[in-house]
Amino acid sequence: MLERANNLTHPQYRWRLVLGVGLLCGVLHAALLRRLDLGEWQPDIFSIAALYFSLYANRQGRYLPCLVLGLVRDFLSLGLLGSYAVLYSLLHKLASKARLRLDPDHFVNAAAMAFVGTFLVNFGYHAMLALSGDGIGWSRAAMRCLSMACASAPLAPFVFVLANHGLGRLGVQRLAGGYVNV
Amino acid sequence: MPRNSEKLNLSWFLRHPLVATCILLAMTVLLPFLRVGERVKLWALLPVAKAAGDEAQSPAEAELSEEERNLLELRRAREQAAALLDENNALRQALAQRSNQPQDLVSEFAQAPMPPAVDARVILKGDASSWRHSCVLNRGRKHGIKEGMPVACGRTLVGRTFMVDEGHCIVQLLTDPGFSAGCLMVGQGEAPLRVRGVLRGDGSARPHFPRLELEDVAVGERVEAGMKVLTNDFSGQYPLGLAVGEVREVIPQAGFLQVRIEAYLDLDALDVVQVLLHERPTLEQQAMQLLRKKK
Repeated sequence: MLERANNLTHPQYRWRLVLGVGLLCGVLHAALLRRLDLGEWQPDIFSIAALYFSLYANRQGRYLPCLVLGLVRDFLSLGLLGSYAVLYSLLHKLASKARLRLDPDHFVNAAAMAFVGTFLVNFGYHAMLALSGDGIGWSRAAMRCLSMACASAPLAPFVFVLANHGLGRLGVQRLAGGYVNV
Repeated sequence: MPRNSEKLNLSWFLRHPLVATCILLAMTVLLPFLRVGERVKLWALLPVAKAAGDEAQSPAEAELSEEERNLLELRRAREQAAALLDENNALRQALAQRSNQPQDLVSEFAQAPMPPAVDARVILKGDASSWRHSCVLNRGRKHGIKEGMPVACGRTLVGRTFMVDEGHCIVQLLTDPGFSAGCLMVGQGEAPLRVRGVLRGDGSARPHFPRLELEDVAVGERVEAGMKVLTNDFSGQYPLGLAVGEVREVIPQAGFLQVRIEAYLDLDALDVVQVLLHERPTLEQQAMQLLRKKK
């Protein structure tokens, strides 16, 4: 019944949000985060945004937004076109499974999911780099991915709360199960 | 109950975007000569390049009278002349300091002839990926730029052109993990040292940002902190004597030395760069050069 209700509601602001969030994250990564002296402890805001769509979006609107968000990141970066798109599609699959067991509204669960998600996305990206002969060494890459995951995890719960609040102000409906109609 | 078979058409691909993305990725990896991904990316960056194109006269300026426009141009010319005078003085001072110093190996390399260059403005710095390092320039194929050409700021190596379109190009910075270049470490002591190595970017971030590593340096080679790192023309990819950085640390590993260097690249100050119109010679050209050297 709930599934049916989710399917019947038309998503609100979906593509405007995906493109807006994608461009905003691109600018944040390219212009702001690189100027801060964070070293390896750089939060991966793009992956947190993709995780938000995977965990909270309307059942029909999780997969494509994640893929498009990945494509936006691919367009704004030097890497192979489609690499982040594939990684975020797989992240959506993983997050959907995790959401059945863990409640993302809980602070610790959200942080844990962001930690695992960010680590896997970045490690996967390094695997693609290594396949094309541009890897930086597996142990070093693992350490860097761990640092990024550690920096991203505490941010995720705040980003999720802020995003839910912002969407509420925009008049986006909340669906049964804690989903947002985007 | 038999399952309905689906037809493979455009709507099927639209309903299965992951499949379409995987095909795109596979085409980019397996058929690199098609350059599918690069073409699409350059096309996507076209609006940015157009927006940052050569500055035309502003609409407000067009409304000015002839006399006011002349005054404006005169003021600009005076400002430019003052700036050039300051720069000239600074260069004279630097030259005077330099001529007092004894000629060493580094200054010998610094006198190596440079290929002709195209000046370009950096219109977009940074990369959306945490792993890659790139920037976009406002000059492209119609200005004579081709893929793989070295990009420098003065005599400091910045990177190489990675994707080139008609009016803009994307530069792979030397800190990108995909960047590599043959380099020479040059000592400035009484007995001049020259040690070869391969420079690899590692996608480092601040505060370690312009920190790179030199690979393939054999154990036993005398490498000291403070040695200058310059490009080597051995492979023909880069001209001889472009400054890269300075050796900071040498860590002995099994079978080779891990040399950490601090690059001279200053991304924040990067505004105008030079794309050196230098192309890697073909095998035949390299062979002819070797023969000429032997004669």
